[in-house]
Amino acid sequence: MLISDYIIRVDREGDRLIELKNIKKSFKKNPVLKGVDLKVNKGEVLVIVGPSGSGKTTLLRCVNYLERPDEGTISVDGFSVEGKNASKKDILNLRRKTAMVFQHYNLFKNKTVLENVMEGLLVAKKMKAPEARNISMDLLQKVGLGEKINDYPTQLSGGQQQRVGIARALALNPSAILFDEPTSALDPEMVGEVLSIMKKIAGEGMTMVIVTHEIDFARDAADHVVFMADGVIVEQGPPKDVLSHPKHERTKQFLKRLVREPEYEI
Amino acid sequence: MSTSLQDWIDLFVKVLDKLPLTLFMMVVSLFFALILGLIIAIIRIQKQPVLYGIATFYLSFTRCTPLLVQLFLVYFGLPQLLLAFNIDINSWDRLIFVIITFSLHTAAYLSEVIRSAYLAVGQEQMEAAYSVGMSYPQALKRIILPQAFVIALPNLGNNIIELLKDTSLAFTIGIIDIMGQVRIILGNNYGIGMFEIYVVISLVYWGICILIESIIGYAEKVFKKGHVGLSK
Repeated sequence: MLISDYIIRVDREGDRLIELKNIKKSFKKNPVLKGVDLKVNKGEVLVIVGPSGSGKTTLLRCVNYLERPDEGTISVDGFSVEGKNASKKDILNLRRKTAMVFQHYNLFKNKTVLENVMEGLLVAKKMKAPEARNISMDLLQKVGLGEKINDYPTQLSGGQQQRVGIARALALNPSAILFDEPTSALDPEMVGEVLSIMKKIAGEGMTMVIVTHEIDFARDAADHVVFMADGVIVEQGPPKDVLSHPKHERTKQFLKRLVREPEYEI
Repeated sequence: MSTSLQDWIDLFVKVLDKLPLTLFMMVVSLFFALILGLIIAIIRIQKQPVLYGIATFYLSFTRCTPLLVQLFLVYFGLPQLLLAFNIDINSWDRLIFVIITFSLHTAAYLSEVIRSAYLAVGQEQMEAAYSVGMSYPQALKRIILPQAFVIALPNLGNNIIELLKDTSLAFTIGIIDIMGQVRIILGNNYGIGMFEIYVVISLVYWGICILIESIIGYAEKVFKKGHVGLSK
């Protein structure tokens, strides 16, 4: 290990933003998470990969309590919540630390693009309308949708909707953004526009936790990769270790299957 | 059958004279039914153990007994029941019994309209609202209920029309609404002119229904911004 690597690691210890401890979750006696620990540092881009049903989405949804863990502790930005016995107020406070981007965008269907982005600012942050409007307009420009502010979500393409979803998350100025398979529901040609915006945000120092199947994106943009299977973390580390030189058999199998895919030709 | 135009007009005027009472019964019952229906819907959505059982029992009873039986049960049965507990409601206005019955009856149907509309909006919208830091009441008010309302409108319209027609049963306990008025006219005529009078009252009910339908249709257009609806 290089000394410089060591110094970076020590620095990061003090900058912990998200910490999950011993998270357990079962759906009707079917254990999905079997005691998972996860740590995310400030400014880090952490990517969770793994086969379907490995519990990666459930783990992500535990961070903002969309999923109630059976056991374990969730800490975000200095605010800790006991998994099982969280009060409504605790849950609300925990949720206001983060923002989320969904697989199916989940834009508010009764609101315009601009209103979608403003909504959290007006309701959760109690911001005045003109200020919220300015912030939202800037962010919509940033994701390239300055022209579409008065459209309703159903009038947009999938890629555009997801970019609104990202703007909505950014507007809250959260301490971290959670991405739940943000490109899985998109047409292949729209994946690029969303990933490039995510890369841009990562470059600006936003803490991001991303569940994705885009291995190339993980290799390119992640600081830390977590590989999950069957409800546990099998392997984690820098992308060049986990994705290029995996140690565990389970990781190797998973990656081999992903890499082989492009070989199909018609 | 040699009725002149003047006779038809006279009949219409006589029947329409009681229209305000019919509309009053409809509007007041609808108001209470909406409130009660919303409460029952929320109870059944949240599935709180005891309340859920009571709500489901009430729903089953209301939907599986005829409205006329319910009206008699409230008008004749309830005072007797309460008298056993030394509560005398025999002096209450008949209209109160009618409105109690229609409110309870319609609330059962409206609760299912509201519940199905709520479920049709979907968990995804609720999760999105949570993710931007809204509480449950905030999410209900700003995101879920506005969408559920639009989805519920066609069914709501149907139930309002149903309620309007149900009010025609009120004459059975002596309310003089438009239907009661028809009975009085017939009584005074010794039963002559039945065809004309029933044509007239049919047209009156029909006319109001068309009016309600067009109001609902207009509301659907106004509120359907963003193409929210069952057909995405």
